Amino acid sequence: MAFSTIFGAWIAAFLTLGILSYLYRDNPFYKIAEHVFVGVSAAYWAATFYWTQIYPNLFGRLFPKDGPLAFIAEVDFNHDFNILYLFPLILGVMMLLSIFKQFNWMARWGIAYTVGIAAGLKAYGYLSSNVLSQISASAVDIFSGSLPLFNMSGDSVFNNIIILVGTISALMYFYFSREQTGSYGKFTRLGIYFLMISFGASFGFAVMGRISLLIGRFNDLILFSSPDYNYGTYWMMLFIVVILGFWSFQNPEKKEG
Amino acid sequence: MRFLEDMILKLGSVDRRYIFLLIGLAVLIPLLRPIDLPIRTTPTTEKVYKAIAEIPANSKVLMSFDYGPSTKPEIHPMTLGVMRQLLREDHQIYITCLWPDGLYMALDALEEINEEFELVEYEDYVLLGFRPGNEAIVKGLASDLRKVYTVDYRQTMLEDIPMMDGINNLKDFQFIFTGSAGYPGTFEWVQYGGDPTGVPLSSGTTSIQVNEVMPYVQSGQIKGVLAGMPGAAEYEKLIGTPGIAIQGMAAQSFAHLVIVLFIVLGNLAYFITERRERKY
Repeated sequence: MAFSTIFGAWIAAFLTLGILSYLYRDNPFYKIAEHVFVGVSAAYWAATFYWTQIYPNLFGRLFPKDGPLAFIAEVDFNHDFNILYLFPLILGVMMLLSIFKQFNWMARWGIAYTVGIAAGLKAYGYLSSNVLSQISASAVDIFSGSLPLFNMSGDSVFNNIIILVGTISALMYFYFSREQTGSYGKFTRLGIYFLMISFGASFGFAVMGRISLLIGRFNDLILFSSPDYNYGTYWMMLFIVVILGFWSFQNPEKKEG
Repeated sequence: MRFLEDMILKLGSVDRRYIFLLIGLAVLIPLLRPIDLPIRTTPTTEKVYKAIAEIPANSKVLMSFDYGPSTKPEIHPMTLGVMRQLLREDHQIYITCLWPDGLYMALDALEEINEEFELVEYEDYVLLGFRPGNEAIVKGLASDLRKVYTVDYRQTMLEDIPMMDGINNLKDFQFIFTGSAGYPGTFEWVQYGGDPTGVPLSSGTTSIQVNEVMPYVQSGQIKGVLAGMPGAAEYEKLIGTPGIAIQGMAAQSFAHLVIVLFIVLGNLAYFITERRERKY
């Protein structure tokens, strides 16, 4: 196996164990892993965005080969020259000027443009897919006779009634212009139960997701503990445990109260 | 009875680090000593399998890798499974990525799949690569793919790729599948890809997203959903190729048992404390 692969595995094992060491208590290994993660992520995103978007799509259209601005620079991605791309370049530069106090008003133009575009896109998508499609999907004719009376997981009359009652009662709970007392209060209370069941399901899925990620990390640690990787996990674990033990004696945990 | 209550109270207030250790062991031991647990497929997973099985042979399918290494354990087995099912029916796969790390996930998946299928680039698949822009990219693909992608990830011009002949927008595909770990992902594909074009869409998501994605499944906007690692394991069972998702399910089940046990103990301890405080 190549040295770079083994070295990468040792680094991965060190960072994974460093992050997991937080479960014991906040410590320097966790801090190292955390700072490396934040720094590498920021640098990785910046480099990726520059080389996959700004360079080919912006500079590629402003400085193409044989373009009128080719005397400044030549970025050849088989694009034609397009003067309109000066507009995003200027807006981008204006956003960067926010670091200078006297020019920070300029950043608002770029931000306003971005927010406007995002709002327009979102409004269209949400209205179509989340509002209209969902309303039409919820409007089911339960008296047509085409649906079974009861089905555990599929479409049925019973399940559609549950969806109808759940949707209306949960919506009513957020209607605050009327006091939630009497039979109306009981109905909105039903809405809370539906919401609680939904939150419970979300919590369950969240736990499941986190355990899946833990399984992924453990699988990698098991892999890196093999002779192919020169027992990387074991060496890293030994290193962290010894240093962490010594560090804990030097910095005893302060008891609360 | 008093002794039992005291025991529960003690366990209910145990140092959280012991709970972490127990969960760690509950996950680690089944991974080191695999245990076969029965896996029952759910209707949402079966819907995905059926929807892909019903695509006419030799179709063009778009797969989007919208996840990164952090969610690889959940989503990667799904995308591998879907690729296997597609390639067995000789479908052509077009790969896009809304996440920058998605490109590396796609390369990783192709490398693994290549060992089984001996893929030929530009005949069996084309990796278009990552483009930043989130939902704007999906909307762009729906209207004019060639404006979003002029070159693939190797910087090869799309005009020079025979597989790209006749592919101009999402309507030229017979099916879309997204392996999604968040934003941008399933929601954006539904809102700007599947719904406006009417191309059948299916998705594999992280567990944490399932509750939000389910209304799209109920309404038919998505043809089923692979829900987290259990969804991936069910899918591996359906295509008859056991993989890392099935291996992980025993660990998943034991960890859940430990969590449920401590939730029950914590609640019992709470009620016992409340009753004792009321008494005195």
